[in-house]
Amino acid sequence: MKSSLRTALISATAAVVFASSVWVLGAQTQGDGAQGGAAAAPGRGQGGGRGRGRQAGPALPTPRLADGTVNFGRVPGEKGVWNTPYITNMANQLVGDDGQPLPEIVQARQQAAAARGAGGGGRGAGGGGGRGGSKSEPWMPWMPWSAAMYDYTSKNESKYDPEGYCLPPGGPRMMATPYQMEILQMPDHNRIVMIFEGATHVWREIYMDGRKFPEGDLLNPTYLGYSIGRWEGKDTLVVENTGFNENSWLDYFGHPHTDKMFVTERWTRPSKQTLHYQATVNDPGAYTKPFTIAWEIPWREGGELPEYICQENNRYLNRLEDDFGQPIFGPRPQPGVKPTGGTR
Amino acid sequence: MRSRMRLVLALTIAIAIPSIAGAQFGHPMKGQWSGEWGPKNNPNRVLLNLDWDGKEITGVINPGANQAAVKSVTFDYSNPAAWVVKIVAEGKDAAGKPVAITVDGKLENLGAYTKLFHGTWIQGAQKGEFTVTRN
Repeated sequence: MKSSLRTALISATAAVVFASSVWVLGAQTQGDGAQGGAAAAPGRGQGGGRGRGRQAGPALPTPRLADGTVNFGRVPGEKGVWNTPYITNMANQLVGDDGQPLPEIVQARQQAAAARGAGGGGRGAGGGGGRGGSKSEPWMPWMPWSAAMYDYTSKNESKYDPEGYCLPPGGPRMMATPYQMEILQMPDHNRIVMIFEGATHVWREIYMDGRKFPEGDLLNPTYLGYSIGRWEGKDTLVVENTGFNENSWLDYFGHPHTDKMFVTERWTRPSKQTLHYQATVNDPGAYTKPFTIAWEIPWREGGELPEYICQENNRYLNRLEDDFGQPIFGPRPQPGVKPTGGTR
Repeated sequence: MRSRMRLVLALTIAIAIPSIAGAQFGHPMKGQWSGEWGPKNNPNRVLLNLDWDGKEITGVINPGANQAAVKSVTFDYSNPAAWVVKIVAEGKDAAGKPVAITVDGKLENLGAYTKLFHGTWIQGAQKGEFTVTRN
């Protein structure tokens, strides 16, 4: 009995170690991952979706399903994918009740553009994509801790970005990670599935069967949360999401969130070429009031989803050090032993 | 002996890797912390179980029959890379009398999985240094 227990323990341990080793070695053998992948991918400018931008030409009619609701996918017989943009800083995407960018953001963008024009580089000013910390984004409803955490992340330039570990982006960041995405509507099954090239090659399921959110422990916290959708008229898909874990950031710049986050998304397709995405983030654990962000996602006619595996050759992890200069994948700080060194 | 050492090594790796995967990027004080306080030659093991409800940090020290309830946790964010944290808690001594616990420390390595909280621990008439890391 004792030896069989030992054998079982050793077998289980070996399986875990083997799986872990494969994962670690796999990460060592190919190109950089998300920090080096999503964040530093060549030719992927902010909001530009791999630098390809929007399609030219006149707006084509919105495709629709047989019941008249919007078809967020392909027209039968054609190919195409959504060219998700790369939005590094959600704070620059805040909109008011009218759906327009906040005046403070417009002003900050103008100032940043003027600074760039004057040779100022445009970094550091809020709204310009720089790293000015929480003070550069006064329109964000910070809590003291979330502001401090954001200042810390701004200072270390997002070196702990969870997406850099090839972990899935959570919440709206799925729609702001610069890889292509496809939406498959299955009205007969009362579900919508979104599949992503990047963002660790994950999929998202939206339940359209009128169900309620699971309660208590049944709502298992996950990266993408639990999504329930409904149609508002024939044009707008409203998706409510909750049940997020705390293993992700809202964006590359490091806006934090908690497991109290509730996201209400509104999806429209004003033309065949454009998907309008809007999300209201209500996180009473990190922000004092809800805020709404929005952007457009261009359609890439003829596109198909290629395979992209972030975990392969993620060398970023191998060179990543913590604030004490110790490898992230190295020894843990020991109780009673004050860490030495440091790269703060 | 050698096979036992291999088993220990394998178990260490097996335990360490899931801890890497268990990232937490919400409120950095939230979670379970373990370590020691008191004299190095005879330290006291300590476990903090803390939660963030959106308004305050709540929780207990050394969960169990002799746990101490956290009364308040305050922060000074002047240095974003090293938050100054003060925890006030109340436990009981062997006779069941209330014992005040005051923990003054720095919360560092905020973005890494292995967050570090260290400083001075005062429990009743005893005082010593403490170091805990987030599990």
